[in-house]
Amino acid sequence: MKGDRVTGISHRQDQDEFRGATGSLFRIALAPTIWAFHFLFCYAGAAVWCAKFGTPGGIAFLRLSIAGLTVLALLAIAWQGWRSYRQWAPHDHDDHVEGSHRFLGHAALLLSVISFVGVVYVAMPALFIGSCL
Amino acid sequence: MSICRRIRALHPVALPLLLGGCDGPQSALRPGGQDAAQLYLLFVVMLVGAVVLWLALNGLFFYFTRVNQQQFSLRHGNRIIIGAGVILPTVVVGSLLAWGLSIMPSQRAPGDGLVIRVTGEEWWWRVEYWPPGADAPIVSANEIRFPAGSRTELRLTARTYIHSLWIPSLGGKMDMIPGRETVLTLHPDLEGFYRGQCAEFCGASHAMMAFESVVMAPDDFDAWLAHEAAPASRPQTPMQVRGQDIFRDEGCGACHAIRGTEFTGSVGPDLTHLASRHSLAAGIMEVERDDLMRWIAHTRDIKPQVAMPPYDWLDAEELAALAAYLESLE
Ligand code: HEC
Ligand SMILES: [Cu+2]
Repeated sequence: MKGDRVTGISHRQDQDEFRGATGSLFRIALAPTIWAFHFLFCYAGAAVWCAKFGTPGGIAFLRLSIAGLTVLALLAIAWQGWRSYRQWAPHDHDDHVEGSHRFLGHAALLLSVISFVGVVYVAMPALFIGSCL
Repeated sequence: MSICRRIRALHPVALPLLLGGCDGPQSALRPGGQDAAQLYLLFVVMLVGAVVLWLALNGLFFYFTRVNQQQFSLRHGNRIIIGAGVILPTVVVGSLLAWGLSIMPSQRAPGDGLVIRVTGEEWWWRVEYWPPGADAPIVSANEIRFPAGSRTELRLTARTYIHSLWIPSLGGKMDMIPGRETVLTLHPDLEGFYRGQCAEFCGASHAMMAFESVVMAPDDFDAWLAHEAAPASRPQTPMQVRGQDIFRDEGCGACHAIRGTEFTGSVGPDLTHLASRHSLAAGIMEVERDDLMRWIAHTRDIKPQVAMPPYDWLDAEELAALAAYLESLE
């Protein structure tokens, strides 16, 4: 038998929906993943730089790299947040129905917001601390 | 005026239990220098902020559940959640983070000249004073002295395990890591005695790894340092001479140095001016007859796993002579 007798959703419809959802699921993880890699690069970068070159070499390059990395990460997260927002609240949306597609957009948007804040916090030490000590 | 004194002024009789950690030579709530004062201010602001937040949050709970139980529109509710639940905490935590980070460089600001190297040993502190221009250190142990009113640089390392140096009344902690050098600078202002403590669990006698710290007027400090650099005084009384003989015969000099004598060991603390220190065996006893005798005869009962063996075969008379000699090392 094809489809579900109770919901009336056909097997094919189900599959399409699922395919769309996997895309959204991956997208949900995107912002936190950027945050994680930004964290990794900043901390590992600072540790390696300070161990190999230390303060005498100056850490201007290190701080600039962290700044650059941060701008990239924030742009990517903002773009991802915007896409999630569109997915959550399309122009013709109805406030009272939030299907799985829109729900995933909503979740991705919230995760983008927290990842954005996370990336800013991770980068802040480079703003204040000017030496390897 | 510190919080402690302020609360005590309000309520002089009660509260002593509550304020147990407030006063005394090892309290971060009684700052004796610039760095500790900064941390103290940070603490007070966080404490007051937390209390205000707690009151506000519970006040709002109370208001909306008991006083004004009206329903909110979805839009209004969302605004409250986004404003008070997302934006407010992000801004508050972000500002605290910025403030805390802005303090960190000043706690590592360059020193004014004097460098003190401290090595975390098992379970005591090797201390070397390097005044500006010195090419050899003035060696001491288990006590760190500072001149008041200037910034002193502490260069820290450790022998086997990771330790952490912390003088709560003077500043923050800093790890001591084998094979690495970490730096902490302190700017004490108030002369007096402060207590320091190892702040990183390091093994059997971790809890007994403390030290006295003395902040002195700069002139007094210079005089003291000159005295510390001088060799040990010679034994005077027959008892002290006998003590020195026992020290030699028992091989104490293989581990301990007493400058000006043939004893040059470096496994244990330098004892050249032991008697002018304010504590014995890293902050746990006093430099006086009974404690010295007890320490020499029962080292490992007092401090588990110390490298110094217990000399329990010495009789009371021999121990007393040893103690008399050590007490003469002003
Ligand atoms: C195997 C090496 C070794 C020998 C031998 C040794 N000691 Fe020690 N001694 C140490 C070590 C290590 C400490 C530090 C222990 C601690 O506080 O954790 C110490 C601490 C002390 C202290 C306290 C120092 C301070 O700064 O407070 C005194 C006093 C002392 N020893 C006296 C003696 C005498 C007297 C003898 C000989 C009878 C002796 N030691 C033999 C290793 C040794
Ligand atoms: Cu320790």
